[in-house]
Order: sequence, then C-alpha cells, then structure tokens
Amino acid sequence: MMSFPDLTTFSTASVLTILGMAAVTYGMRLGGLLMADRLPQQGRWAHVLERLPGAVLISVWVPSALSAGPIGIAGAAATVITMIVVRNLFAAMVAGMVLVAAGRYFLG
Amino acid sequence: MSRPQSAPTRHFDADTIRRGAIACLPLLPSTMIFGAVLGVLATQRGLSLGELLFMSLTVFAGSAQFVSVDLWRETIPAATIIVATAVINLRYVLIGASLRPVFRGRPLWVKICGMHMVADENWAVTMTQENLANPGFLLGGGIFLGIVWATGNTIGYLLGGGIPDPNVYALDFAFTAVFAALTVGMWKGRVDLLPWLAAAIGSLIGHYTLPGTWSILAGAGAGVIVAALTWREDMDDTAPETEIAADAYGAPEGTYSTEAGK
Repeated sequence: MMSFPDLTTFSTASVLTILGMAAVTYGMRLGGLLMADRLPQQGRWAHVLERLPGAVLISVWVPSALSAGPIGIAGAAATVITMIVVRNLFAAMVAGMVLVAAGRYFLG
Repeated sequence: MSRPQSAPTRHFDADTIRRGAIACLPLLPSTMIFGAVLGVLATQRGLSLGELLFMSLTVFAGSAQFVSVDLWRETIPAATIIVATAVINLRYVLIGASLRPVFRGRPLWVKICGMHMVADENWAVTMTQENLANPGFLLGGGIFLGIVWATGNTIGYLLGGGIPDPNVYALDFAFTAVFAALTVGMWKGRVDLLPWLAAAIGSLIGHYTLPGTWSILAGAGAGVIVAALTWREDMDDTAPETEIAADAYGAPEGTYSTEAGK
C-alpha cells in the first residue's frame, strides 16, 4: 500500500500526461465549433447540423439502455413517456431510475 | 453572417449562468457519486488528490477520465492514455459543432472561454432550451457540474472506499435517463424521425461490433448521412436555427441582462 492520503504530489510525468489529455479534449471541443462556424448557415449543411445534437444524444443512451436488458428498456421507456407527459427533467429521471432500481431489487 | 448585428451586450451574465447551473441540479447525485468512485479508483492507481483534481478541471470528461485513471501506473503510459482520451472524446467534435447556434455572432474569445466546461450533460440541457443563444447558460451548467465532480472526487479520495454501489440505487441509469429525457426536448418535428432512427440503429450496430465509445460516432454518423439525404430545398425557410438567431438579437434576453447585472 502507498502512503495515504497523498494530497499534493505533482509529478512532472503526471502533469504532462494530464495536460496532454486536456489539450486533445479541449482542441476537439473548440475545433468542432470553429469547423461548424465555417459551414454554410443555410441549406443542406445547416439542416444536417440541426439534426446532429439529437443524433449524438440518441447514440449515447440507446445502446446503454438496451444493453441493460429488459429493465433498462423499460426504464428508458418510462423516462421518455414521463418527459412527454410532464415535461420535467427531474420527474422523468426519477421515473426511470425508480423503475430500474425496483426492477433490480425485485427481479435482479 | 452579414446581418446587421446589434450583438447582445453581455456574453456571460450572472443571471444566465445561475439559470444554467440550476438546470443541471437533477444531475447532482449521479455526478457526485461517480466522482467519488473515480476518487477511490485514483487512490488505488497512485494519483495524488491534487493530480486528480487538476485532471478533473482541465480535462473535465467523465468517461475518458475513468479509462485514463484505470490505465495509470507507477510509470505512466502517457501515449496510451492520451490516445485513449482522444478516441473516447472524439464525440466532442460533434458536440462542439452542434453548439454553433449557442455561440452564433459571439467573438472568438467567448468561444474560447465558453468551450472548456462542456460536458455531455450541460451540453444536452443547453440544447433543449427554447432560446439557444446563451453561452452563459452552458457555462453555468459546466461550472456547477465541475464543482460537483471535483467535490465527489475529493470525498471518494479521502474516504478511499466505502462508497455506496451506484448500481444499487440505479445511479448508473441516471445518465441514460437524463439523455433519454432530453432527447424528447430536441424533437423539432417529422424531419427528425429518419435521422433519429438511423442514429439508434447505427449506434446499436456500432455497440455490438466496435470497441468502446465508437458506437456514438457510428450512430451520429448514420444520423448525419440520413439527414443529408433527406434534406429538401423547401426545408430551409422554417429552419429553427434562423428563428432562434432572430430572437437572440430581437431584445428580450438582451434587455433583461442589461438591467439585471448591475
């Protein structure tokens, strides 16, 4: 075991690695925005850019909901339906999470 | 681009930042607990708390940090870690691109300052706002999540274990739930149907055939291709992006902000 807690050691290797991680991540965040700024504001590319957030978002959660099995699918369905009905983010999250927690407790 | 621009007076006004932070409040429990789990992992991999917090505030990307900290060793495999971070965070190119309406008409320095604290969660919350053209809203959510994330890291690191298993309380499902719920708010009409279906199918195929987070790029790519193919000339006039831009300069937000921040 290492000495604990280790609060303030900053090794050169760690700092450089972290700065490398930060640089590539920030570079992609800003780079994506600046590239999009160069795309036309009208027409096909503007249309595609407007569909992009929904496409990214769906690609983030659909695979994880399905790979969580029937409980995950039911939880995602409960979340989406609650959101459509009450239009409240917190309520929608609670609906899905309670269903998943209960499902795991009683069935899992 | 060449419209007469009476640019909004404030780029990041305090009231908008506060609203952005409050909008991310439902994410507090899950962000905190996963931050703590990362803190525990960091104690096992030999990072100091200072290094972990430095990473959390400069990289600020949860899934990449989990993979990186997991790869951390006495002799740090720096190249592997940086490449893994780049691959996992490739989606930020798309997320950055989709933020164009939020930063429309703003000077470069606002984009440079506003694009750092962009996580999946505050991005998604921002993109479902009625008036998109508020970089302060995005920043507020980012600052809030950053504080919660770093606090979670610290708690986990100092406790060094004994963190409740997030899976028991379905806190791992919180991220799926928040993104699923916010998708509802992004629905702009039937033009979204085919691209969304393509994204769902593409991401699922990617999930079962590709490693790691490539499924996000597969899904987004499929959605983009279908969106490009289904575009017709007559869709242009109703492009919500143009309406939003007109709103942004048409006063309400600007009037509030000049009065509010005194």
